[in-house]
Amino acid sequence: MDTQSKNIIEHLTDWITWPRIVFALTLTFFLTSILFPFYWMISSSFKTRVEIAGREPVYIPGALRLDAYKELFDPSHPSYQNFITNILNTLKISIPTALIAVILATFGAYAIARLRFRGKNFMLNGILMVYLFPGVLLIIPLFAMLAQMGDRIGFNVQDNLGVLIFTYLAQTLPVALYMLTNYFRTIPDEIEQAALIDGCSRLEVIWRVTLPLAIPALVSVSIYTFMIAWNEFLYALVFLNDHSMFTMPIKINTIFNDPSPRPHVVMAASTIMTIPVVTLFLALERFLEEGLTAGGVKG
Amino acid sequence: MTISTQTIRRRWNSVEARETRLAWMLICPTALITLGLVIFPAIFSVWVSFHDIGLHNLNDVFHAPFVGLDNYRKVFEDFAFKFQGMQSWGAAVTSIVYSFASTILTIIVGLIAALLLNRPFRARGLTRAIFLFPYVAPIVSIAFVWRWILDPRPSGVINDILMRLNLIDLPQAYLATRGLALVLVIIFEAWRYFPFAMLMILARLQAVDNTMYEAADVDGANTWQKFINITIPELRYVLGAIFLLRLLWTFNKFDDIFLLTGGGFGTKVLPVLTYEFSFRLFDFGRGSATAMILLIIVLIFMGIYVSTVMKSTEE
Repeated sequence: MDTQSKNIIEHLTDWITWPRIVFALTLTFFLTSILFPFYWMISSSFKTRVEIAGREPVYIPGALRLDAYKELFDPSHPSYQNFITNILNTLKISIPTALIAVILATFGAYAIARLRFRGKNFMLNGILMVYLFPGVLLIIPLFAMLAQMGDRIGFNVQDNLGVLIFTYLAQTLPVALYMLTNYFRTIPDEIEQAALIDGCSRLEVIWRVTLPLAIPALVSVSIYTFMIAWNEFLYALVFLNDHSMFTMPIKINTIFNDPSPRPHVVMAASTIMTIPVVTLFLALERFLEEGLTAGGVKG
Repeated sequence: MTISTQTIRRRWNSVEARETRLAWMLICPTALITLGLVIFPAIFSVWVSFHDIGLHNLNDVFHAPFVGLDNYRKVFEDFAFKFQGMQSWGAAVTSIVYSFASTILTIIVGLIAALLLNRPFRARGLTRAIFLFPYVAPIVSIAFVWRWILDPRPSGVINDILMRLNLIDLPQAYLATRGLALVLVIIFEAWRYFPFAMLMILARLQAVDNTMYEAADVDGANTWQKFINITIPELRYVLGAIFLLRLLWTFNKFDDIFLLTGGGFGTKVLPVLTYEFSFRLFDFGRGSATAMILLIIVLIFMGIYVSTVMKSTEE
């Protein structure tokens, strides 16, 4: 018995080495500092106004109370926020942005990856220059330009979701183009050449051969562009004035800056905004890896 | 004559010509949108910065009065912009300090995270996914969670923890304290953006030839020596690329500081100042001038980077 316990302690002291201790401590530090804010966001969203405004923070809410969510969604609540409108507005912007960006970028990326034409690199570099310009630099001339165009053609610049989609394309197209060009370059040219020799036209080749092979990339790029539009703050802040047109980020900002502070409502709205994006990303990560391995097997 | 039109027609119908036309057709929409919404506005904003444009003449921008360098002079003389000693840095100096400090801290944290994830352990895949959370989550929610954690009331978590540990007697307003606010914003940036650095470093680490470490083991090198003499040189290019990208993006970033502090308490950076001139004072000329100064600083950084760092890595 005595010798055995000694053996276990010996085993343990052998196992616990300085590198292992440092590793465990660092890992714990990272995990706590990453997960605590997310825990705090979700748990705060289930607190009551009394719990949230008390002298001391409530670390574990007594029960899952839906006060904050009722304020967001229940029309009978005294300070009803009509948050469902904001969710719908965000979806009305981010889904078209993602779809249009992916379709247009697919065309452009195919041309850059496969076809030879003069000025190709110049054009690609010009489009990637977008990374250089700060959003605040572009929003002033865009605002002035679109205001003029709106006056001439007859549309509102402010509170117009279409205008917002249009400006989001400028932010998402370059990213989508870059990602898709890189992906198309990994698809072996021989497959397309074979289809061309078999008598398909270029457009048929794109439709029948290239696009089916590129589905993993198309999905991940559309989720990526969707996320950009879903999260966008500055342009929505400038272009939207009417509360019924607000996207989620602007609405959350408005609730936060309300004279009577209601952190639980802010946290509830933030939770609703965060969970779909984080879930989509986790799903996307696996999809991306699957896509890569599948391509590796075929190639 | 007929022969030449025939050759033209043959050339027009040749495979290469058709491919070129198709290429231009395919890239046209993307190119037009980017040109119209990015390149043209960028050039137009140079023009705006030399004119007096406010809400009153926004509908008639092209007849706005030319004011020369007036907007730039006004920006340089603005108390929010110019450096006035250590108590009040002004937006230009704050921007530079903020973006360099955030970038360096982001890379250090990202490097540590990448080294953690580079060694095998149970649940590594899950840990890797969790490490990506701060980067993936929407900035609005993340910023407000941190503001709620750092809440100045006694119900703020940090206040509560520090008071229980007897480190402070009274609740503090962390994001409303000059100096501390800037430090916290820098830490926030590192917290949010380290996953980007981590992913790029991790990809490079996994490509490092293992025989080098084995050779170092044979020579009796310790972990630190291996890190300094093998890992860091192997990571040189990727660290340089991360540094440039993050510096550029942090310098241009508006959302983070606007949401965390609103640009108050010594955290006013150039993008926030641009926003305030343009959409609080509605002086678009002055706003554009500020944005142009921001862009010029970015271009100077790029120039220095390309001429020194890229050159030295080429040698």
